[in-house]
Amino acid sequence: MNEEAGTTSAPGPSEAVGMDAQGAAVIMQQARERAGSELRIRRPVLFVTWGLALLIGYGAMWLSVRGQHPFHGAAWPTLLLALLLLAIAAIITAQVVDRAASGVGGRSEMQRGIFVLALAAGYGALLIEKSALASAGLSRPVEAVLGFTAPMLVAGLVFVATSAITTGLNWPRLILGIWLLAVAAGGSWAGPETVLAVCALAGGGGILLMAAIEPRLPRA
Amino acid sequence: MSDDDLDPAIHVPARLRIMVTLASLPDGDDLSFTRLQDLIGLTPGNLITHLRKLEDTGYITTHKNGGGVTGRTSVALTLGGRAALDRYTATLRELLDSASPPVTGTRT
Repeated sequence: MNEEAGTTSAPGPSEAVGMDAQGAAVIMQQARERAGSELRIRRPVLFVTWGLALLIGYGAMWLSVRGQHPFHGAAWPTLLLALLLLAIAAIITAQVVDRAASGVGGRSEMQRGIFVLALAAGYGALLIEKSALASAGLSRPVEAVLGFTAPMLVAGLVFVATSAITTGLNWPRLILGIWLLAVAAGGSWAGPETVLAVCALAGGGGILLMAAIEPRLPRA
Repeated sequence: MSDDDLDPAIHVPARLRIMVTLASLPDGDDLSFTRLQDLIGLTPGNLITHLRKLEDTGYITTHKNGGGVTGRTSVALTLGGRAALDRYTATLRELLDSASPPVTGTRT
């Protein structure tokens, strides 16, 4: 111990207070509840945030491309809206995680680092890949299908792969990862317009549904 | 069985709170001194006193990263500490069960 302030070898005031078994049980319950509410990341908040961001973001882009012949892509205001929603969701995520994880070090800190690194590396590689394909003459509809579904594919893969790095299996992350992979792969068959509706409803809606079922899943 | 059977190193309100709070973290995790103080609500001096006692029994470990103002002291429960808390919880449960009035089950 290297904290200097207020160091004393005398017992603290709480040590002198008698405690029976009933009192000890109450203290344990209170401490457990406090630690649980303060140190646990509120996943339902994150699921609702990202679910709404995807539902509104993809939904707005879908409305802007409906009935386009030939397909020329989403209107730029809807692209800006989607980017804004992603930024807001990222900020809320950072705040929720920081509230729970502040002061917590060790294995969990490393696991969070691996998770963020995997996502950043995946999206970085995806951007480079997409640029290379565009410069190689990829058609606009194919580029749109890739651009709309690949981010979900990357997130799904990272979710599945990192669901097992926690002490116990992270069931919400595993289930959500498999679901996002299914939505990305299945949605690709829907074409450049309808893929946006699939991503909005099945992707965003699926994440919102996870907010409801997550409390019932086994905890890691 | 009586309250004397409860581990005296843990059977103090502040130390019980510390042990339960640290046990809520997964194995391999630690908690900074300032966050623990925030969660337990003790003065730094009192918290240090209780942490020293728990460290002396081998129930927790403390580690200082860096030095000076930016230094961070972290506290973690040891495997022995987790086992001791499990034993304490089991003993407490037995005490509470034995203290509760017996159920007669008679119905007329």
